[in-house]
This record gives sequence, structure tokens and C-alpha cells, in this order.
Amino acid sequence: MLETLLYIIAYPPLWQVLIVGFLGSLLIAMIAIWFERKTAARVQRRIGPYWASPKLGGFLNIIADMIRYVLQQVIIPTSVDKTAFILAPVAALIITLLPIVFIPLSPIETFWPIPSMDYSLLVALALTTVPPLLLIVAGWASNNKFAVIGSLRESYIITAYELIAVISILSVSASTSTFNLVSIVEYQAPLKWFIVLNPVAFLAAFLAILMSTSAFPFEIPESEHEVVAGPFTEYSGILYALNMGGAYIRRFIYSILLAIVFLGGWAPYTPPLDSGPLMGIIVPSIIVIIKASIIVLAMSFLRAVYGRYRLDQALEYAWKLFLPLALLGLGWAIIVGFTI
Amino acid sequence: MKESPTSTSDVTIKELETRGIQVRKIEKEVYEVFIGPQHPGSGHMRIIVRLDGDIIAEADPDIGYVHRTMEKLSEVREWLKPIPLLERMTIIDACNITVPYVNALEKLMDKAPPPRASYLRVLLCEINRVASHLYGFGIFGVFLGHSTAYMWAFGDREVFVELAEILTGARLTHTYPIPGGVRRDMPQDFPEMARRAVKYMRRRLIEYQRIFLDNPVIVKRLEGVGVISKSLAAELGIVGPNIRGSGIKYDVRLIEPYEVYDELEFEIPVYEEGDALARTWVRVEEIKQSLNIIEQAVDWLERHKGELILSKDDYDKLPKLHKEIYEKTGRVKLLPVHASMKIPAGKAVARGEAGRGEIFYYVESDGGTVPYRVRVVTPSARNAIVFKYIVPGHKLMDLPAIYGSIDYFPPESDR
Repeated sequence: MLETLLYIIAYPPLWQVLIVGFLGSLLIAMIAIWFERKTAARVQRRIGPYWASPKLGGFLNIIADMIRYVLQQVIIPTSVDKTAFILAPVAALIITLLPIVFIPLSPIETFWPIPSMDYSLLVALALTTVPPLLLIVAGWASNNKFAVIGSLRESYIITAYELIAVISILSVSASTSTFNLVSIVEYQAPLKWFIVLNPVAFLAAFLAILMSTSAFPFEIPESEHEVVAGPFTEYSGILYALNMGGAYIRRFIYSILLAIVFLGGWAPYTPPLDSGPLMGIIVPSIIVIIKASIIVLAMSFLRAVYGRYRLDQALEYAWKLFLPLALLGLGWAIIVGFTI
Repeated sequence: MKESPTSTSDVTIKELETRGIQVRKIEKEVYEVFIGPQHPGSGHMRIIVRLDGDIIAEADPDIGYVHRTMEKLSEVREWLKPIPLLERMTIIDACNITVPYVNALEKLMDKAPPPRASYLRVLLCEINRVASHLYGFGIFGVFLGHSTAYMWAFGDREVFVELAEILTGARLTHTYPIPGGVRRDMPQDFPEMARRAVKYMRRRLIEYQRIFLDNPVIVKRLEGVGVISKSLAAELGIVGPNIRGSGIKYDVRLIEPYEVYDELEFEIPVYEEGDALARTWVRVEEIKQSLNIIEQAVDWLERHKGELILSKDDYDKLPKLHKEIYEKTGRVKLLPVHASMKIPAGKAVARGEAGRGEIFYYVESDGGTVPYRVRVVTPSARNAIVFKYIVPGHKLMDLPAIYGSIDYFPPESDR
């Protein structure tokens, strides 16, 4: 009975897409938002979220916020392009979650949502590059000057970070001669992680993801004091929540990818090939999620320490510093591929 | 007053070029963005920004959204009542704003406050200056996305606001100085609290420096941004920390000491660079000097216990009951005659150094119970023009950096 139930839960579309992908990222996004507010409060000598549940450190406050967003009236201004205005955040969220389908959370073929993982790294990485484009659509459809400026800034930043993210994450393929994420994880087992073998590429990827998800110090498209809320200026209610939560969910999906590629995936545990759903998929998934959460929380902490760079300074850093760093990581990866 | 757009831009560009400022003539279509008055980064004002790409081609500070006709209102209030009215224009810097008005009244009445009252005024002025600079510092921090600086500065400002409350009974609107003295004496345990606050703030300033002023991101944002050259600063007639950040040593406390500033030891920090970073440093250094002054004032007050805080003839006029209250609690209970007092006809000017710069009063009396005219020139009103001259040529993202570094306070400017 229990075995059957576990098999039902571990059914790939249910487990990977709905539970890990949707609920997991929602939960991690909530934890990340809570952690961000709480650590920032600690650094700033405040209490932070408190009243909704003093014993849980105010965690329920985030849920209360979500309820508010859901119940709030959605105002759609008459001047916007309605179809694009509504569809852009929804589509962005769906496409943000899509890479999870191509990321294996277990070496066992039964538990994969797709039949083959051969080009999974390429496809997952390609899918992560789409949502920012929809952000630009959202800003453009808003027909608001601040939204348009925010979108333009986003488009500038995309050109800068995409290349860095792609080069630095793909550099592992130079070491392992494969795009198969399962092989990449197996290459790293048990403790030969790429964060140790190739820290330069990891650093470049980390910085690119900071830029991509507009975390501090690169919170430029939504910079409040020039462009109000950037592309989201005209959004309200649930549509705004989708936009705002979307950045956190993207950070989580990116972090899962990083955890698989650089932090050894489900290592140090390796499920035997004949194991059942509990040890075969649920435990390795949780290991990956924990590793990803650590990356997400590290990114969240930076808010308390840094201000934001100017747009041109961020671009300057990206092209002059991070891109060479990513290329150095690629070279390093090739050396690793030949020697280890 | 608005001129037609063509004439403005032509004249402005020509003028700017003679000052050696790099500007581009706007030939193609510009993107007009209205920042304010309903905007998280504007305050109670509007900056009309015309963008050429990401570069600001023109910036028009559009002020006057919080004009409250204070000068006119002063003309229908008895002499003392403008004090609580006027301090509301810079509510975070109340004592600095009202001391020159009271000085002007004292000049008209030919009355001088006793030294103890002067020291108490200076003490509160400096407490206000620290609180006001911390307020500006916090807003500046959050303009650059640095929420920690914002929270720290506002949290530490609370220390000085509380200190002011212990001294005067009110957090912000103290209405402390009155012609001929002050309204309250210092509580017994005040010196100890003040010294502790000073010690605490000195320690905190080092931490501010670590997280904000020496933060590579912040330095990168501020260095060389919004440069006001020495000549431009003098020409525009800006005042306060902004002109001292441009290398001009202009401070009313130095050039025309009022109250007891000539008896105190302090320095006027001056920076040569003229950029946003220099202006921020001027404020931080000024906080340090204010802390020194607070210590000196408290020391003096402790050495001269029991002296009057009201001029001798005012005190003598008090009835027995009011004298008892004064002896017991240190509070001056004013007589109704103060409300309807007449001030001899004449004209007086007075000025003082408020947190944001020189504040100037012209008070005219026709011998009646209300002022004939009260003219106020506030530091923010004099600094507002800076936006028009130094913002063009910068990127849009520099606007909050410049705005914050000017420490412009719209209610003060609009009066």
C-alpha cells in the first residue's frame, strides 16, 4: 500500500513538476523572502516579520502577504495592451518552471520526466534564458514610461549576463565531454565537485545569476528610486505577485541547475539502480533542494550589505570582469578535462 | 515662473558651456519623465527629466508642492506664535530654524539671553544638526539601494531625538528658544545621557564608514558624480554642507558667530572634490564636530549650574507662583502678557547655520502685536537650483545619488 502510494508520488510529472517544481520552488521562494527580510532585519537591528506568528519568527507573514496579493483587486489600466499585459507574467512563470523537467533529480531512468537526459544541460540552460524576454514584453505592454525604462535596462542586462551564464555553466561540458546532467553528476561523485575543481566558473555563474535575477548589488531594472518598480510599475494584485515571485523562483531553478552542475547533485549519496521511490528519487531530490537553497539564501543575504550599481557600471563589470572570468573558467575546465 | 522651452534650453546650454560643463544639444526627440511628486524617489517635489537615451539632457526642479504660506501666516500671529509655526518647515531641524528668528526678535527688543540660555540653545541646535544629518544620510542610503544605511541612520537618529525630548519635552517641535531665553532648563541627569549618546554615536560612525562610506559599490556610485565646481557653487549661491563639499569654507557659525559659537572649539570640515562623496563626507565630519560641541556645551552647563535661563528683567516680572514652578522644575511658565507683547518698531535681520545651510530672517515691526513682515530664506530654497545645473549630462541612475547628496528638503524650501 505504502509502496504504491510512494510510486504514485514519485510519478515524474507529479513529483518533479508539481511537487519539486511548483510547490518546492514556491516554498523555497517563501523561505528565501522570509530569510532575506529576517537577516536584513538582523543586520539592520530590527526584528523584521513578527506579528503573524511570533513563534515561527514571523514566517506566516509571508503567507499573509500572499493571501493579500491573491485577494487584491487586479487593476488593468485602460492604456495597456491587455493580452500581453496579462499573458506575459503568466507565461514567464510557466517558462521559468519549465527547466525543472529537463533536470534529473535521480540517476534512475524510471524517475526521469523525459526519456533521455542526453542534451538536458543544453535544453535546461536554453529555457532559463526565455523568461527575461517576457519581462521586457510586460514592461512594453504596460505603456508606462518607468516600465519601458525598466524593460530597457533589463534588455541591456540580458545581453551582459546571458553569455557569462551560458559559458560558465557549459564549461563543465568541456571537462566531462557530455551534456548529459546525469553523467555530469556521476563524474563528480562522490566528492569531486566542480566548485572545487573549477571555482572560477562557479563564481562567474553565481555572479551571472545575481545579475539575471536582479539581486543586489545588481537590482537595476526594478530600482525603486528611479523607475518605481521597473517593468512591474503598472501591475497589481496577483499579477504583481507572479512577477515579483518569478524572480525568486528563477533564482531557485538556476540554483538547482548550479547544485547539479557544480555542487555534485545528489552526492555524497548515490542511489543504487534498483532502489525504490523513497531512496531512488525523494531522498536525492531533497539533497539537491537543500544545496540549491543554500545558494538562494547566500544570494538573499547580499541585500543587507550592498547598494546597487549604476547600469553602466554593472555592464562594465559584466563585460570587462565577469566575461573574462567565465572564459578563464572555460579554459580551466578544458585543463581539468585533460588532466583529471 | 516658466519660460518657453526653446529659450530655456538655448540659454541654459550656452551658460552651461561657459562653465565648462559637458552638455549635448537636444536635437532629436527626448523622453520626458516626470519624477514626482508621487514617486518613491522624489519627496514633495517634481523633477522633470528629459532623457536622451540614458543621459539626462535637461532637469527641471519643479518645487512648491508643500507651500504653506508661512511668511504670510506669520503676519497675523502674535510675536511668539510664529516660532511653533516656522519650526514646522524643517521639522527635523527645529531649533536651528527658530534660533535666528528669536535672535531677530531679541535685536528688535534690545534684549540678550543669559549665557546659560545661549548654551542650551546651542546644545539643542547641535543635537538637531546630528539628527538632521542622520536623516539625510538615511534617505541617501536608501536612494542608493542600501537599506542597511537607511535603517541604521534612522535608528541612531532616534537617540538624538530622544535626547531632545529629554531636554525639551518634545521629540521634534520643541519650540525651545523664546526671546530672552529658553523654555526649560536641562534635567539633572542630562549630561550623563548626552555623553553616553556622544560616545555611542562616535562608535557607530566607524561602523557607518565600514558598511556605507567605504563600501566599494557606494564609492563607485558617488565618486565624481554630481560635481559642483568651486566657481559654480559660488555663482549659484548654494549653502551649507554642499558648498563646503566644493571647497568653500562658508559657515555662519564661523563668519558671523551667533549665540555662543565663538566660545566653542570646533572645526568646519571642507572637502575640495565637490562630488557626491565629498558632500557625504562633509556631513559625516560635521556630525563628529557637533558631537564635540555637545560635549563642550554639556561641560559648561554642568559647571554653571543654577544660572538663569531667562533674561533678568523677564524673570523679575514673573509672579511668585511662576517663580516657584521655575525653581522646582526648571520650566518657564510664560505669562499671558508674552502673547500680546508689543515689539518696538524697527527692522532686524538674523541668520544662522541650519543643518542644510544658512537660514536668513528679515523681521520688520511696526510696533504692533504682530510682525509687519517676516521674510525667510531657507537653505533648501537656495540649493534647489543645483539640480538644473549639475544633473544634465549624468545618467538617470545618478539622479537619486545627486538628489540624496544635496540633502534637499522640500518642505523647507517651499515654506
